[in-house]
Amino acid sequence: MNIIGPDKLVFGVDDVDACKQFALDYGLKDAGDNHYVALDGTGIEILAKDDASLPAPLQSGSMLRKTIYGVADQATLDAITEELSKDRDVKTLDDGSIEATDDVGFVLGFQVTVRQPLELAAEAINAPGAEPQRGVNKIGVSKDFTPKPRSLSHVVYFVPDIEKAEAFYAERLGFVTTDRFTDTGPFMRPGGTQDHHTLFFLKTPPFMQGVEHFTFHMGGPTEVSQAGYALMEKGYQSFWGPGRHIFGSNWFWYFKSPFGCNIEYDADMDLHDENWEPREAQPGADNSQVFLLKATEKWAPGGPGEKPLPR
Amino acid sequence: MSKVLLGSLSDIPPGQAKGFDPNQTGKDTFFVVRQGNQLFAYTDICPHYGNTTLPWKRHHYLDSASDHIVCAAHGALFEIDSGTCVQGPCLGQKLLKIPIEVSSHSEMWISLETLEEFNL
Repeated sequence: MNIIGPDKLVFGVDDVDACKQFALDYGLKDAGDNHYVALDGTGIEILAKDDASLPAPLQSGSMLRKTIYGVADQATLDAITEELSKDRDVKTLDDGSIEATDDVGFVLGFQVTVRQPLELAAEAINAPGAEPQRGVNKIGVSKDFTPKPRSLSHVVYFVPDIEKAEAFYAERLGFVTTDRFTDTGPFMRPGGTQDHHTLFFLKTPPFMQGVEHFTFHMGGPTEVSQAGYALMEKGYQSFWGPGRHIFGSNWFWYFKSPFGCNIEYDADMDLHDENWEPREAQPGADNSQVFLLKATEKWAPGGPGEKPLPR
Repeated sequence: MSKVLLGSLSDIPPGQAKGFDPNQTGKDTFFVVRQGNQLFAYTDICPHYGNTTLPWKRHHYLDSASDHIVCAAHGALFEIDSGTCVQGPCLGQKLLKIPIEVSSHSEMWISLETLEEFNL
């Protein structure tokens, strides 16, 4: 199946205004009609949780209501329709996309991808012993530069039945497992991308089923750091990071959000093909990050007279 | 008993919440929710992971209807009066309640013993 990756995540949220402002502050562009998009056109749709157009929520109350995958062409869309129609309802919607539910309860959409090709440079560095990537008199950073999310990277689900979920995405949709955390879950990529993962599962009790986080790719580690710092300057609170993952090698910085899940910036993810041998490791900080720089906003810098005196 | 002034009751409008960082750690260590003239105070730690603060932005501890306390990391909902998680990843677990006092002049106070006991 030539599934390229996630095109859009559809949310039904409690505080629409807060979520829309967060999307803008994160760096997405208001594309109208409740859509907020990255540079390549992938993005999120923000609706009120009681919007009648949304699929029913999970029992857990998760605000993620649908994950829409972009596929290469109509032939792929037809093939998915044929495959999933063997044992479930597959709806064709007015916009030509299809909708079905996976084996663990997540609502999925599939559409001919809206993802536009990007012609942008990656972050360039100069290092002794290597040919300069940034030429003479070319500066590397600017406070005036505003990093923009380039592409919807991945989504991470809380799932009670990991084996059932992995089997569905592997056997029915052609996803490949690239690495795995033991008894926690697999990192998976669809057939149409070499990104280390566009999907990852975390094993949880049933009442937790939902979305743990989602992420957009940035242009490099400086963009992750600069965008994350700007988000903190706007008052948003860091959850984890900045740091660099081991599986996938991607730089990360996670923030809490009014979407009822974390939202990450990432950059520089490993690419894999059919020659890759999946790895397995125990979950936990030691195997999740090669380093972590703990960001804390110091909103109360202190000084004489600012702290109420004990009485 | 030595105690620290947290401010006036009027600092927190009904149906809203406020975080406090008495030792200026850079992150709020507890928060107070006001319902009418009743106050409920909890440590700013979600029982899901045990080391995650709740809000996505400072003082944003409640859902839009001010019906529940929310942890923004994974969407847990807690009852305001009991601190019990009623939806989300720490279902049935509780926020850690802490004692505060309101004086006859509507001033909010917390004791040094409480700050020390709860490592606030």
